[in-house]
Order: sequence, then structure tokens, then C-alpha cells
Amino acid sequence: MVSKIPSLAALIPLFLLLASTVADSDLAAELLALQSRSESGVIHLDDRAVSRFLTSPKTPRPYSLLIFFDAEHLHDKAELRLTTLKNEFALVSSSFIANNQHNPTVRSKLFFCDIEFKESQSTFGLFGVKSLPHIRLVGPDLKSPKDSDQMDQADLSRLAESMAAFVESKTKLSVGPIARPPLVSKMQFIFMVAVLLICTPFIIRRILAGDTLLHDKKVWLFGAVFVYFFSVGGTMHNIIRNMPMFLPDRNDPSRLIFFYQGSGMQLGAEGFAVGCLYTVVGLLLALVTHALVRVRNRSVQRFIMIIALFISFWAVKKVVYLDNWKTGYRVHAFWPSSWN
Amino acid sequence: MSSPVTASERTVRHAFGNVLAFFVLILIGVLAFSIRLFSVIKYESVIHEFDPYFNYRVTQFLTKNGIYDFWNWFDDRTWYPLGRVIGGTVYPGLTLTAGTLWWVLHSLNIPLSVETVCVFTAPTFSAFASWATYLLTKEVKGPGAGLAAAALLGMVPSYISRSVAGSYDNEAVAIFALIFTFFLYIKTLNTGSLFYATLNAISYFYMVCSWGGYTFIINLIPMHVLLCIVTGRYSPRLYIAYAPLVVLGTLLAALVPVVGFNAVMTSEHFASFLVFIIIHVVALVYYIKGILSPRMFKVAVTLVLSIGLAVCCAVIAILIAVVASSPTKGWSGRSLSLLDPTYASKYIPIIASVSEHQPPTWPSYFMDINVLAFLVPAGIIACFLPLSDASSFAVLYIVTSVYFSGVMVRLMLVLAPAACIMSGIALSEAFDALTGSIKFHLLGFSIENSQAGAGDASPDNVPAQKNAVKSDASENTLKERTSRKSKKKEKEREKEEQDGKSSLKSQIKRLQVLPFEASIIGVFLLILLGAFYVVHCVWAAAEAYSAPSIVLTSHTQSGLHVFDDFREAYAWLRHNTEVDDKVASWWDYGYQTTAMANRTVIVDNNTWNNTHIATVGTAMSSPEKAAWEIFNSLDVKYVLVVFGGLVGYPSDDINKFLWMVRIGGGVFPHIKEPDYLRDGQYRIDSQATPTMLNCLMYKLSYYRFVDTDGKGFDRVRQTEIGKKYFKLTHFEEVFTTHHWMVRIYKLKPQKNRIRGKSKKSKSKASSTASSTKRRINKNPWL
Repeated sequence: MVSKIPSLAALIPLFLLLASTVADSDLAAELLALQSRSESGVIHLDDRAVSRFLTSPKTPRPYSLLIFFDAEHLHDKAELRLTTLKNEFALVSSSFIANNQHNPTVRSKLFFCDIEFKESQSTFGLFGVKSLPHIRLVGPDLKSPKDSDQMDQADLSRLAESMAAFVESKTKLSVGPIARPPLVSKMQFIFMVAVLLICTPFIIRRILAGDTLLHDKKVWLFGAVFVYFFSVGGTMHNIIRNMPMFLPDRNDPSRLIFFYQGSGMQLGAEGFAVGCLYTVVGLLLALVTHALVRVRNRSVQRFIMIIALFISFWAVKKVVYLDNWKTGYRVHAFWPSSWN
Repeated sequence: MSSPVTASERTVRHAFGNVLAFFVLILIGVLAFSIRLFSVIKYESVIHEFDPYFNYRVTQFLTKNGIYDFWNWFDDRTWYPLGRVIGGTVYPGLTLTAGTLWWVLHSLNIPLSVETVCVFTAPTFSAFASWATYLLTKEVKGPGAGLAAAALLGMVPSYISRSVAGSYDNEAVAIFALIFTFFLYIKTLNTGSLFYATLNAISYFYMVCSWGGYTFIINLIPMHVLLCIVTGRYSPRLYIAYAPLVVLGTLLAALVPVVGFNAVMTSEHFASFLVFIIIHVVALVYYIKGILSPRMFKVAVTLVLSIGLAVCCAVIAILIAVVASSPTKGWSGRSLSLLDPTYASKYIPIIASVSEHQPPTWPSYFMDINVLAFLVPAGIIACFLPLSDASSFAVLYIVTSVYFSGVMVRLMLVLAPAACIMSGIALSEAFDALTGSIKFHLLGFSIENSQAGAGDASPDNVPAQKNAVKSDASENTLKERTSRKSKKKEKEREKEEQDGKSSLKSQIKRLQVLPFEASIIGVFLLILLGAFYVVHCVWAAAEAYSAPSIVLTSHTQSGLHVFDDFREAYAWLRHNTEVDDKVASWWDYGYQTTAMANRTVIVDNNTWNNTHIATVGTAMSSPEKAAWEIFNSLDVKYVLVVFGGLVGYPSDDINKFLWMVRIGGGVFPHIKEPDYLRDGQYRIDSQATPTMLNCLMYKLSYYRFVDTDGKGFDRVRQTEIGKKYFKLTHFEEVFTTHHWMVRIYKLKPQKNRIRGKSKKSKSKASSTASSTKRRINKNPWL
């Protein structure tokens, strides 16, 4: 029927207008039906569906399509983040539908779709998609799919929020706030509260009796030193910035870089190494002042102490060297000018 | 052993030690003050940077008009045409402190200027802070550790960075207040005295007046109280230390206008109220335990527990309901980003973009606390042997602050005192052990002599004796904590027992020695470490943290070169413009313009109104004509831009320009960032986009720039500029400073609207009118 309409329309111009709008609204209704079938509202397209909804209808189409190009065999490649992005994409879709629940005209203006590489390779060719992740917005007036707007890396950086911003800026439709599902579902939450309530009396009894893990000084000691080690090595920086443990060398890919020059950035392994150096000196000092004094054997004392002093000296020297290398500072003393 | 002789000897020695400690403390104060004077010696006695100029201006107002006018001050010189209520939106602690100092000096007939007082407030208070550190550490681990910690704090680079002479900012007094509040808390905890508890609340009040960081105190102390309760360390002293602080402290905090009802309404304070309830429940349990027999108590426990639990649950439910009803769950963005470090980078780009809020890498620690980073673990372990209420607080302080500092580099400032305390303890313990061993080997048998015979005053004996006194003293303080409430008689008896015990203990301790040569090497290495710390601190104070950033210097082959363009420009404004003229610039220079040029600005560093800032950003990113219309609608007469292209000053307006576009575009969507970027790259050379080359910021920065060298080579961007020859139609250049770092333009007067009666000009006029109409909706001030 769809293919027939253009030929009829060529004959009777008046009929054209009527028929095409009818057909268009049909397509939109069909898409809406497809949409309601999937949980998040993302419509799964294949080559046939692409030609039906995208390439064959005459422009302007009454709707825009936002297409997520997916490839299942690449899901296990972590650096592409395909699964994360797909979930975020679904989140934008469901938020858009939920926020425009009572506004069917807006709802039928934009549809979220995904395409699987293995099923629809010709569509990938049609859009000229060479690399993933790839998300495209096909506006109503667009004739050639290759001209459609592509979301670039910046639009994916803040996940669903930036995707929504991209959609809003290009289509002038409002997506509204992103509704993320809570971390724990309601049942889990109730279960946790119940477990907590049941445990409370036992815990309180243990506290009153004074024997919990919390009363063990060693746990606290270990925890305190660990937090110190953790923070002082800049691990929080690595977590917040998602830094890798090491980088491959650009000049020689077989070698790895563990230490990054320049004070604004650091690598994971680097942080742990320096954190260890920071911590080990203090631990050895405490060992000497608090434990070693109790040892009776003089030569054992001497041996351990010399080793401790040596390691401490080496660690401090190493950190000073690394710091000078990384930051490029030259710390120097100020002597009286008559000494020179 | 003839006890009266040793007792009198001991008092003499004690007195001697106290006098020595006193003089050492004075020297530490002098050190802390003088290490911060590099900025005055290398540059001059001048207020630094941006925020201090505002504080300086407020202090000037306070000294001129008095406290009541200051409290009710509505400032119309800034945020034109909105103005700003200064009295209700600043933390008044710093201003009041400096104002009081000035007033005291003047009543003593010492005529210092307000500026001088402001410049030297920070160094003075860092001396106070090191004394407060002495007091705090003394409460934790005795006077030896206290002195070491005070000396370390006097020159810790992290603190120097915020308190050099001229850096007149809130942190300068707040760190002192922070340490002193902690000291009074520990003092109360050790003595159980209501006097100190009251002082503690007042000191907390001072902290609330001075800095927003007071929330750290009001969360850390409840955490410690909770920790004590959970680990079974509840005592009436704990109650005395905590309950008055919460009640009095919260009431006092609510008196500060900036805080007001936030003291009871925001989540940052809820922890203290929750712990306040818990400590009462626990106190009740202990009280009932005291008056009932063990069997009765068991019955009562179930009763009290069930009631207590019910009350607790109800309160928690109410708290959750209150918290959940607010959109951000009651937490401010900054506190949330502390709890969940990845929060800010995900959801609040404006917080994540500020360089102070970045997470630090490991070199920052080495730069800011230097070798203390090595000593802290030893201090933590020393605090656990033995663990007292005070030392557990010290551990909690270091752990929380080191975690926070890992999230935000700015909080390194809070870590610094904790690191100094811990390192002081570690150093003092290490020196005790090592020098003790050396003494033992050198004097070997004389110790046994001193134990057997009377304490003859041979010089050899003194150190060993002193050591004994020291360990005695620490024992004393430890004991005192557990037996404060007992009466005097009991105390005396106990003391005798203690003496016996401690002599026994010290006997054991004397046997714990280390090998002689290893100890000497150890002492030598520790001294080396300390020396390295001093060298680093002096270097950091002299080279890294003393630049006032209002005067710049550079070392060239021909010698020192001074760039004083900022003050040149502000002075020009002050002398050559009308008092009521409005000056527009990017918000960074707002505080300085009001303070130094005394002219009204549109936006300043207190970035409370985003729309207003966005308006200025939009004007700067618009073409000349549109910008002129925006500025004219704001009554602006002069526009000030900072330009570093000639001398290579990197933090100029062209480098900040993308932020203007972003912030402007955030409110007025017709400004789009991609229009200013060529293929995602920000450039000003011939490849730049036409929008970029036509925007006001480009034109004002590079107007006549090509006249300087004939090529228009920008030294910051390292490229030739894209558009070299152009004329300004709506602005005229009125002043450019010596090195072109500040350029001031005047808005050309509005053209006469009714020009003539020819048709051509009429149609022209109508077209401009329509264009203004079209822009009306883009500009809120028309």
C-alpha cells in the first residue's frame, strides 16, 4: 500500500496530501505499537523496517528517529562501552516516553530505535557507519541517511543526560528529567530493613557485652593505616578520573608506561607504588620505636634496624627523585650570599 | 630514696622544662610569622589575589562605619543593578578579627593602616595556630610531641599557601579556630570540666563565623563520640564534652546570618543531633546500671532498650522524611561530592571545573605536607599504644581528613594540622627511643646508680632523670583521665601507687634499648629528614606560594622585570572616570575593581547570580553591536578586558573565553559553543570561525595589536592572530596599560536617532529599530 500511494498521488495532487498524511500517521501509529511492545520503548529495526519507516516515506516524515547502532559480538570489548551506552539509551527512551505520557503528539514525533550489525549490514552501509559506538538522529526533512546528525563523544560523555541534551537541541522536543531506576528495588529495600531490624538486638547485645569486631584495636589500626595509604597515593584521583593502571608506550607498544610525567595526572600502578613508599617509612619507624625495643637479642636488633634504616632512606630518596622528575621542581636551599 | 629531695628536684626540673618549652614556643611563633613574610620582602606589603580584596574592602567599611552599619550593609557598588546584601552573606569572622585588631592597635596609639593590619593578620594567626597545635598535641601525647607538632605546623607548606602575608582570606583565621576548637574538645574530654566545655562552644562559634568548613567540626566530633560509645568508652566526661557543644554551639551558630537556620535545617548538621540523642540514651543506660543491682539491670535493659529503640526509630524516620523532602536530599553539592567522590564529576560540572576541587595526585601530597607524609603512619601506630580518648580522636581526625583531601585538593588545608600532629607524635616517640638508647649506652651503669642511690645532681644523670619524669608525666595524664572524679585523698594515695608503678615501668623501659651505632645513624637520618623538610618549606614559601598575582615578575637576562599593569589600570579608572560609572569585566576582576578602583561592577567573584554572569558572558561573545546594546542596557560606561598576548600572561580573558561562551550559552541559547570552535578546537588564528573573529572579546583584546610587532603574534597562544586590521564601531579605546595586560574601552555614545528626513536614513533607522526589537528577547535588561 505504501508503495502504491506515490503513484496514485502523482495522478491526483489533492488526493496526495490526504493520502500521504493518512499513511504517515499510519506509520507513526505502527511505530507506537512497536514501541509499546518493548519494555524501554526502544524499537528494534532491521533492513526491511529501515526501508519501510525511513527511506521509502516521503520527506518530511512526521517523526524523527534516533538510532543506536549495536553489534552484539563487540559487547565484551570494555573500551567501547556498548552495553553501558545501550542501557543509557534505553533510559533516555523510557524517560522520554514517561515524561510525555499525556502528550501523544510529542510522543509520536520521536522514536528510539536500535539496529543489530549482524542482521542489518546494509543499513550500516547506508549510514556509512564505520565505528562504534554510533548514534544517529534522522530528522523529518532528511533525504539521505548519510547526512543525519551523529552524536559525537562529547554527547556521550555524561551518558543519558548528555544524550537527552543532544536530542533536545536537535529536535526541539523536551525529553525531561532522566528517571534512573533506584539502585535497590523496593522488595530488596524492605528485605534489607527487615534483616537490619532482626539483627539490631543481637548487635546491641554484642555492643553491650563489649566484644565486636569494633572493639578490636587491631582492626582500627589496620583500617586507619589502609585509608591513609589509599588516599595519600592519589587513589581517589584514579577512581574519579577512571585512570588505567598503566598505559602502553606510544613509541614502543610492547613496553608499558607505569609512571606518567606531569603533575596533573597519574596512573594506577604509580599511585600504589608511591603510596607504598609513603607508608612503609612510617611503618618501619613505628616498628623500630615500638616493637624492636622489646627484642632482647642485640644482633637481631642491629640487623633489623640497619635494614629498616636503609629501606627508609631508599624510599625517601626514591620519592624525592620521582617527585622532581614528575613535577620538574628544583627545590633548593637559601644560603647566605657571602658563602658563595 | 629520699623522696623530699627528688620531689623538689622534680619541681625544679619541671619548672625548667616549662620555661624552656615557653621559649621554644615563642621561637616557633616567630618562625611561623616570619616564614610567611617572603611575599612582603620579595614583592611588597599588598593584598593578594581576588577574594582578599573583597575582605579588605569589607574591613575598610567596618573600620570606617562601625559594626552596625557593617551588619546591615547593602552594597550597591556591585552586581549592578541588583546590589548585594553584604552583612547577611559573608562569614564575618575574619573581618571582625582584623577590625578588632585595628581598633585595639589604634586605641594603643599605634597608627597602622587597615591594609597593613589585613596583610599581617594571616601570619599572626598562623603563629596562634601553631600554639594551638602545641596545646592539642600536648593533650594527646605530652609536651614533647606538642612542641614537635607545633614546629612542624609553623612551616607546613599547605598552610603557608593560604596564609602568607597579604593572603587575607577566611582560611587564615579558620585553621587556628579549627585546631583550637579541637583542643578545647579534647581538654574537656580529659578533664570533664564545664568551663572548658563552654569555651569549646564559644570557640566553635568563632569557627562558624570564619569559614564554611565548620561543618567538618560538627561532623567529626559526633563521629568521635559515636566511636567512643560503640567501643565502650562512654564516660560522663564524654557527655560533658559533647552535649553542651551541641546545644550552645548550635544556638550560637544560628546567630551568624550566613548560617542562620541552616544550623538546624541542613543534613550537614543532622549527624550531631542524632548522636546527641544516642548519647542521652546511653547516659540513661549507664545511670540505671549504676543504681540497680545487676539482675534488676538486666530486666531494665530490655525495657529501656525497647523504649530507646522506639524513640530512635521515630527520630530516624522523621529525619529521613525531612531529608527526603528536599530535592538534593538536604546535602549541598560540595558535601555530596565528598561522600561520593564521583558525584561532582558526573552531575555538577561547575564544581568539578574549579581547580581547587580536583582530586590531588601523589606529588601534591609531597608538595604540601612533604616528609610528614612519611611520618604519619608511625604517628597513627603510636596513637594506638595506648589508645586513649584523646588519641583516638587524633586518629579519627587524620583518617577523615586524609580521605577528604584525596577527594578535593582544597581540603589538604584541613589535613595539614592532622599530619603535623601525627608526625610530631611520631618524631617525638622516635627521638625518645633513639636518644634513650644512646644515653643508656653512654651512661650505661649510672642509671642503675641513680636508681639505687639518691638523685645526685651530676650532669650525666639529668637526661635519664628527665626521661623518667617524662614517662611519669605521661602516665599521670593517662591515669588522671580515668580517675578524675575521685576525691583528693584518693588521688594522693593513687599517686603514690603510680609512682611505684611508674618507677617499675621505667625500669622495664630502660631495658628496652636499641644498639648504639644504629641509634646514632637513626638520629642522624631523622635530623636529615627534618632538615630536608625545613629546606622544602622555605623553598615553597619563597618560590611557590608568595606571588601576590596582582603584581607579576619575570626574570629575564636583563634582570628582574615587574608587571604592575593591574594596579595601573585600576588607578586609571579611579582617577579618570566618574564615581558612578559602571565598569563591565569578566567576574574574576569584580572584587579588585570595586576595592581598588572604587567603581561599580556588574558581576564579581561572589558568583551568586548565574543569569547576570551569563549576560556579561553573552555580551562578550556577541558581535560588537549586540554587545553594545547589552552593555548599554546595563548602564555600563567602560569595559575592561585582560589580555596577555603581548607579554605571555596565560590566564587572560581569551583563555577564559570559552567559559564565558558556555555560561552565556547556558542561559541564552543563541550563543552556541560550536560556533566558536573550528573542528572542536579553540583557536584565534586564521583558521578561527567568523563568529569567533567577530565577537567582542576578540575585538577588544586584539584591537590595534598588529601595531606592536607588525605581525600580530600572540605569545600565549603561540600563533599569529586571524584578523589583524579592523576598526571598532561601538567602542573606543580609552586606556591600555604599559604591557597591554589590561585594556579599557568606553562605550561610544548613542547616535542621534532622528538624523534627517531623507527616505534612506528613515529606512535605515527603521531597520535598526526592528533589529533591536528582535534582540529584545535575547537580552533581559531591555
